[in-house]
Amino acid sequence: MMTESELCQTIAYLEADALQRWIDLGWVLPQQNSDRLDFDAADVARVRLICELHYELQIEEDSMTVVLSLMDQLYAARRKLGALVSAVEAQPDEVRARIAESVKGERAGPQ
Amino acid sequence: MADPYQLLGVSRESTLDDIRKAYRRLAKKNHPDLHPDDKAAEARFKEIASAYDIVGDEKKRARFDAGEIDAGGVERQQQPEREFYRQHAEAPQGFKYERRWNGAEQNEADLFAELFGARGAGAKARGSDTSYTFSVEFTEAISGAKKRVVMADGKKLDVIIPAGMKDGQTLRLRGQGHPGFGGAEPGDILVEVHVKPHPVFRREDNNIRSTLPITLGEALAGTKLTFETVSGTVQLSVPKNANTGTILRLRGKGVPAASGRGDHLVELKVVLPDHPDDEFVHSITAWELKHPYDPRKTEGKAS
Repeated sequence: MMTESELCQTIAYLEADALQRWIDLGWVLPQQNSDRLDFDAADVARVRLICELHYELQIEEDSMTVVLSLMDQLYAARRKLGALVSAVEAQPDEVRARIAESVKGERAGPQ
Repeated sequence: MADPYQLLGVSRESTLDDIRKAYRRLAKKNHPDLHPDDKAAEARFKEIASAYDIVGDEKKRARFDAGEIDAGGVERQQQPEREFYRQHAEAPQGFKYERRWNGAEQNEADLFAELFGARGAGAKARGSDTSYTFSVEFTEAISGAKKRVVMADGKKLDVIIPAGMKDGQTLRLRGQGHPGFGGAEPGDILVEVHVKPHPVFRREDNNIRSTLPITLGEALAGTKLTFETVSGTVQLSVPKNANTGTILRLRGKGVPAASGRGDHLVELKVVLPDHPDDEFVHSITAWELKHPYDPRKTEGKAS
């Protein structure tokens, strides 16, 4: 966990105003405590990513909303896929073989 | 390490602007957080970043061109291992970011609902519970408080902390968890409350304990002083001949409870001056020579 000021110290070119704006936009969701904000490891990595995309790769606010939205949807899909994969792995061999067969067919595309 | 110009796909004669553009293009294409499936993206991205670190900076580029530094030498000065977002995105902490973009939160075409919903028409399942942990100040837990918390999915919720809440207790917010399936009721949110330690006060059941430092003179002659408790300021009388370990009980100044409010127990601690001068030391040692006393006599053999 890190506080707002610790975070600004960790990431050299991060400014408190920009961070506040990103929080207001819902790009970063730190835990709100009575007197301060707590950023967990995922929040910190996310702020670092937004910094990189904005300051280095010049992605502006409007585009950033699109990028983050797509990225979050990508990770959401990956998480669901992961859950599905574990569920498939827990199935008997015969069921797994049938699923594998079916997936192979999908991947080959139309003949 | 490879030649930074080659890595960025630019010539040695390129302008700084061209190099910057090449870097941005490659960094976008290889940023590991935007390519979670590509295991090698991180290594490529780091290579590109360190190449740009050299030739994207006018001074470093000149030194590199002059052969004063090599690609590897500069790389070693770089910041230590960094964490990418993709390492966290699929871990539990990343979950709160998933639901940010779904407007009406129950409207999402959930992959699983699609899979199991159609076939299991009429099937009902209560929504799952969501667990959440948050911390409150010591005094908030004693007096009770209303706290606005931001839940994992960004939803804001007011949580009433009842007066006298203990560390580690759980509050159940009915119907605020994940939506149910097939018209069944939603799950609950379970909030585990952690009470932050207080710098001075400690809690023991429904009593509060604290240690109060006093001077030698205050201990001998007694004194009156104002004292802050969790339920306001009180006048505290330190009796004559108090000592370290003397406990004063402030009735009803502890934690509110159904069985009646607990007490605040103040343990006195006699503190000698930080830098006792000769006058102080002589007067005490001289007095002790005339009136020897043994503070260890009840403790058996002195250690």
